[in-house]
Amino acid sequence: MITAYILINMQPGKSDKIIEEMRKIENIQKISIVTGEYDIVVRVGIKTLDKLLKVTDKIQMIKGVTKTTTQVIEKEIAL
Amino acid sequence: MKIRKKYLFYLLAFSSSIIAALLTGVDVILERYLENPWVLGLAIFYLGVLMSIIFTLIFSIPYKGKSLGSLTIDPTFNKIRFFKREEIKYHILGGAGNAILTIGYFALIIIIRDPSVILPFSQIVILYLVIIESVTEKNTPTLIEIQSSIIVTFGAILGSISLSGTISLEALAIVFFVINPGWVLLSINQRKLKTLKIKNKTNDALNIRLWNVIFACLFTILFTLIYDYVYGTNNLIESFYSTVDQFGWLFLVGIGTFFSFVFYIRALGIGKASVTQAVKSSVIIFTIPVSLILAYYGFIDPLSSDPVLILIKIIGIVLIILGITSFALTLIKAYIFIKLKTGYPIEETMQKLWNIGGVTRVCAVAGTYDIMLKIRTRTLVKGYENILRKLESIESIKEFKWQSVLKEWEDI
Repeated sequence: MITAYILINMQPGKSDKIIEEMRKIENIQKISIVTGEYDIVVRVGIKTLDKLLKVTDKIQMIKGVTKTTTQVIEKEIAL
Repeated sequence: MKIRKKYLFYLLAFSSSIIAALLTGVDVILERYLENPWVLGLAIFYLGVLMSIIFTLIFSIPYKGKSLGSLTIDPTFNKIRFFKREEIKYHILGGAGNAILTIGYFALIIIIRDPSVILPFSQIVILYLVIIESVTEKNTPTLIEIQSSIIVTFGAILGSISLSGTISLEALAIVFFVINPGWVLLSINQRKLKTLKIKNKTNDALNIRLWNVIFACLFTILFTLIYDYVYGTNNLIESFYSTVDQFGWLFLVGIGTFFSFVFYIRALGIGKASVTQAVKSSVIIFTIPVSLILAYYGFIDPLSSDPVLILIKIIGIVLIILGITSFALTLIKAYIFIKLKTGYPIEETMQKLWNIGGVTRVCAVAGTYDIMLKIRTRTLVKGYENILRKLESIESIKEFKWQSVLKEWEDI
């Protein structure tokens, strides 16, 4: 299982539409709207890197998404 | 389907409360036929084990590449499985907690029959949870947590005054020294199990519940055997006959308890144990209609219409709701993205970050950043004092960025 975070920048005023579209994408475990350098942080759980590419692709195809930055998790400690 | 994590959390916790309130009503009816708490506790667990095995097997049936349980109740559930070595200690402690809690609860039902009095008593457990969380989850309780716990506790005490105006000291002793410690033991260990990774995957609520009931049943048998040996009673044998005699009611309790716990465990995996318990304390409201129905059908004494007692009860409920609301509305979450200096081992830095109070997730990542943190804090001031100041003191950190979470959705 590969887990990754996708950090997303978007055009202002499009958050509702983008979130609505994103909630339809499979393998997305969590969507967080954040303040700061990025606008949305998405956590993805997929079986192969190929599928990660497909998820990233789907996100980039959403109208209003201007940039994605993918961070693949190598090691994790969690509660 | 993705829904706001907060809504999912409330949905699960409230569903668990409603089922628990209905179950207390059934327990009160059942107590008419089985007046011994040891026999009643054991009979419930026999059926509980049977129900849990049957339902977990049903939920293991594959459908469209996933299990029925994964599609309906818990997406992390795959199929029924044997417990893993790393789970044993939590199952032992959780099972013992459940056994103690159950016997105490049935002893309480025999003393006080009114569900609207029984359940508020046990809400005081929230105080114990806040104290224990501060020890086990490296999380010092904030002022708001302490305030909310006290409000809920006082609300529960007021709500637990019987509508006939009495308060039983024996019952209070059972609540404080038997039920609540048992509930804490169960709650903390269930949460530990839910947050445990099994083969790199999140642990599922169905298998946790199944094994908890099995361990709790074994502990109850053990405690009953000791009791029978010391006092020369015959509760263990009696429990087998009672299970057959009262199969219908016990069957109903078995199903209800199974779902109430599965929802509760899932909620625990989302929120902190004390917050989950706070929301679940809404059970006090749901027990009132149950008590009215029981009084109407003559299972309990008629409820008093004294306005003072009714007012006290209402104040109790309002306090509980206030406590719950202030608990739920004051949680701040954020991501912190970190870039590291070269020449420092990453795993060492991860451990230092993990030791900071409020940090719930540390991920070493490949990409623009080196480490991503997820944090949880009650206030921004606390976030600065307890987290940012400590980050600044870690030498290997080159720079970091704080991204506050405004809204969050989670796949269910």
